Amino acid sequence: MSSSPTDVTEVARTMEIAMPQMGISVAEGTIVEWRKQPGDHVEADEPVCDVSTDKVDVEIPAPVAGRLARIVAQPGETVEVGAVLAELEVGGGSEPDHSRVYSPIVRRMAADNHIDLEQVEGHGVGGRVRKADLVAFLEEHRERPLHTESPYKPEPEEPPTLVSHRETSVDVLGPTRRETMSPMRKQIAAHMVESRHTAAHCTTVVEVDFGRIAARRAELRPRMADRGVNLTYLAFVAREVVAALEGHPILNASIDGEEIVHHSDVNLGIAVALEDGLIVPVIRQAQRLSLEGMAAAIGDLAARAREKRLQPDDVQGGTFTITNPGQFGAVLATPIINSPQVAILDLEAVVKRPVVIESGGEDSIAIRPMSYLCMSWDHRALDGAEAARFLGELREGLERGRTE
Amino acid sequence: MAELTYLEAISDGLRTEMRRDESVFCLGEDIGAFGGAFKVTAGFAEEFGPERVLDTPLAENAIVGAATGAAIEGMRPVCEMQFADFIACGFDQLVNVAAKLHYRQGQSVPLVVRLPSGGGFSGGPFHSQNPEAWFLQAPGLKVVAPATAADAKGLLASAIRDPNPVCFLEHKGLYRHVRDEVPEGEYTVPLGKARVAREGGELTVIAYGSAVPLALAAAEALEEDIEVLDLRSLCPLDTEAILASARKTGKVLIAHEATRACGVGAEVAALIGAEAFEDLDGPIRRLTAADVPIPFSPPLEQEVLPQLDDMKEACRELLAY
Amino acid sequence: MTLSDASAVMGAAVPLDPALLTRADRAELLRFMTMMRVAEERALSLYKQGKVPGSFYDGRGQEAISVGAAFALSPRDRLCILHRDLGAHFVRGVTPDRYLANYMGRADGVTGGKDGNLHFGDRARGCVGMVSMLPDMALVANGMALAMKMRGEPRVALTFFGEGSTANGQWHEAMNFAGIQRLPVVFVLENNRFAYSTPNELEFAADPVERAEGYGLPGVEVDGNDVEAVFAAVHAAVERARAGGGPTLVECQTMRMHGHGAHDDMGYVPPELLAEWEARDPIQSYAARLLEEFGFAAEEVERIDAEVRAYVGECAERALASPLPEPSAALEGVFADRWEPLGDGAAPWSGWAEPGDRPAAAPSVPPPPGPTIERRAA
Repeated sequence: MSSSPTDVTEVARTMEIAMPQMGISVAEGTIVEWRKQPGDHVEADEPVCDVSTDKVDVEIPAPVAGRLARIVAQPGETVEVGAVLAELEVGGGSEPDHSRVYSPIVRRMAADNHIDLEQVEGHGVGGRVRKADLVAFLEEHRERPLHTESPYKPEPEEPPTLVSHRETSVDVLGPTRRETMSPMRKQIAAHMVESRHTAAHCTTVVEVDFGRIAARRAELRPRMADRGVNLTYLAFVAREVVAALEGHPILNASIDGEEIVHHSDVNLGIAVALEDGLIVPVIRQAQRLSLEGMAAAIGDLAARAREKRLQPDDVQGGTFTITNPGQFGAVLATPIINSPQVAILDLEAVVKRPVVIESGGEDSIAIRPMSYLCMSWDHRALDGAEAARFLGELREGLERGRTE
Repeated sequence: MAELTYLEAISDGLRTEMRRDESVFCLGEDIGAFGGAFKVTAGFAEEFGPERVLDTPLAENAIVGAATGAAIEGMRPVCEMQFADFIACGFDQLVNVAAKLHYRQGQSVPLVVRLPSGGGFSGGPFHSQNPEAWFLQAPGLKVVAPATAADAKGLLASAIRDPNPVCFLEHKGLYRHVRDEVPEGEYTVPLGKARVAREGGELTVIAYGSAVPLALAAAEALEEDIEVLDLRSLCPLDTEAILASARKTGKVLIAHEATRACGVGAEVAALIGAEAFEDLDGPIRRLTAADVPIPFSPPLEQEVLPQLDDMKEACRELLAY
Repeated sequence: MTLSDASAVMGAAVPLDPALLTRADRAELLRFMTMMRVAEERALSLYKQGKVPGSFYDGRGQEAISVGAAFALSPRDRLCILHRDLGAHFVRGVTPDRYLANYMGRADGVTGGKDGNLHFGDRARGCVGMVSMLPDMALVANGMALAMKMRGEPRVALTFFGEGSTANGQWHEAMNFAGIQRLPVVFVLENNRFAYSTPNELEFAADPVERAEGYGLPGVEVDGNDVEAVFAAVHAAVERARAGGGPTLVECQTMRMHGHGAHDDMGYVPPELLAEWEARDPIQSYAARLLEEFGFAAEEVERIDAEVRAYVGECAERALASPLPEPSAALEGVFADRWEPLGDGAAPWSGWAEPGDRPAAAPSVPPPPGPTIERRAA
């Protein structure tokens, strides 16, 4: 059979939902919105609210099943790790208080008989006032006048006129719409401006012939696809970047005050465009990954980023960043360094161009799949020659096939 | 009055109608000399001859199609599906031909399809179904599902006399377990009229077929002020009786042995929600089979089909609400 | 299988007793076939003018089958007519205005707009309308025949279906049940070579007429473009059924000269096949035969054509003047409040001239001066 679940009566208790420790360096979070409202039933692990940290947006799941009793932290409020966000009423017996929830017939009978339902004691589940309770109440009060409410209804007050206090006339702009920046946009804004202010940005560009990579990709792709891995140009570039960084450790570094911090692991940040912003999840110890491992790692991070399933630790500790706007057709850009890292590499669209190639001492023009690799680097940490050498080696690797 | 089982009452009703009207005849598999899988037509061939108790080949579309043609020509055929489940094999003739003929061209098709339905005896997925909702989506078919022996006789007679195709759901679990006073001789119960099987004021259980005795047993066991409304006809539905009882008690449980999704319970609940909302004192609930095929093994089948304890529990919950 | 192949296998086209058809009967046969052709041409042009909602189907090239078969029936026999059998409706007495109105979804169509095209049967004419599922009506015809047999009435039910229907399981159920019960039913199979686009060889491995024997009933094959051959075969089958001899399958070999519907360009039909059958057009060839074999004057034949065209033209005007149904009618008529018998159809064949069977209406084409009209003895 299948019937409605039965409520089990037992003593209710209150449980707190606290701001969790998400990742090693998260100290506080801002409530974005509550998905559940007081009175709502929640299942264990069901998200109750969204919290934005300085690293990532996360959903806070309910620790156990119950009823959301009270919201402590309101949307927009920033609270520390461990602080109480809400109270949950648990234990099946936590029948919601329904003493002031009325069924249609109870409301109608009350109106017909001019009864203030607050005066009626309910004996239904959760203290509901049942029709039977109201019938009993009416029986009991049959002799006494029930009408206690004054029939006098004052005229409603005029609603106050809304006055715009904005000083700037919006007329010259035509119709406009304002929206508050999302927490993510605010973070991107702050981080980018800070980087632009502190790092000494320079951008160096090399042009790379992707002919060999295109061929290798075409060759390897079906097999990897069978294994569920999508082999992209980005994976080849990431793999070559990791290899090239080995000989140029200054590019796998960060600046801390007046010190340069060299990292033994390459923690490769991959910028992922989202509908409403940008996030840079990190592939840890990228030097250990094969080409296929790299492709798989990129695919996994991008998918989780788009599905908002990244954890705070996924977006921390990057040592070098690759951004890939070329997938949208752009051919040149000057990216902003993801400080405190010292460089960011920008992979642009691979497009067919006529190029001069030399073969057997003869020059000729050929159609080749070409792309620009644009790297912004911090002049505080290195100089142009080093950047150019690194990019040259990277190009060499991509065109000649040094690694895979 | 004579006390008959539900099965005997169906036989009695059929025999009475065949004696009353020569155009009434039966057709189906193994119904003649063998008397039918459940012996509803036992002895009929001797009394009425093999032509009016026609043994057909194993061909459900041929049975329903032949009944349709014969009905157009003025006969009153009563088809027997050996099990209600097998109407699936004759569905095309029923829903595409018989059901639509009057709408399309004014041609009345007075036929009855008897459908031994329901589970509870390890019949498994193909001998236990309650397919009434299938027919309710085919305008032009009437559908009845008696719960008592008297109604089984009276509704069968009315179905035979009705000028439309009527699906007559006879619950196999009631065949020999339900026994009550049945009027002798010609007896009809009008189609489209529900019956208050038990009066009460706090809760209405709306049921039909095998769910009716279950609801009555639960009401007795709980000793509560429960009304049991036996729908008897599913199409036409007695909306007046449903709304009157819902308005009276304000709490409604709809119970049937058929599966839940888009079943009679859903239709009745929507009707009450739309028409009697202001009189409700609690949610409209359903007690039905789970939305799974009917399994074979007893513990599995009991899990799927509504049991007495389930009925009691569902009533208790709503009464307490 | 070509016609000649099939004939070689089955032989047995029924020889026509020349006494069965009078001169006036022959004029009627030509008149009904012409009426079907002209009415369908008119309906197609209404369809192309956007006056017919939905889709359009006709039976061009198959006129001899529905006319010849229906012509053999008595008023009290019953018919389930399919969508390429307009001639049978006309033989039973449905007028072209109601056919055209039905196609246009008008209030005066046979179904009053409830159903379209040829999905109708005029109750008053002893007909039951088809459904789209094929060959469902074969089972319904069985049921009507079963009622007739149970009551001991010398009546017959007749139904049409195409060769594609014989691939469906319900065809087997119908043949088997009719065979077992020896029902007074006549199955007229129109093998028009294509079930929509599917040719015979993809519908069956053994021709239906060969399968009939397996069901315990005779199968007869005739030239479906020869109206007298169809009449003769169906007449024999009807006589046999009426005498308690049981069912017959009459397979009429023909060709669907138009697409499955007006939307079908028949790209799958070899042009030479169409040309071959065009040369055997049932109306042209019968008109020629009336001149050559039966002494009709050219002006008689021309007059039939002219009269039919004028009559269908008037009918089309009436159909176009018919109103669309009231929308509220859509909600009416799901259930019946009483059963009423089917009416008896017209039976224009002179063989039904016995008192009581002969319809009141006089033949619309008056017999020309000449030999006395032969009457078939009872």
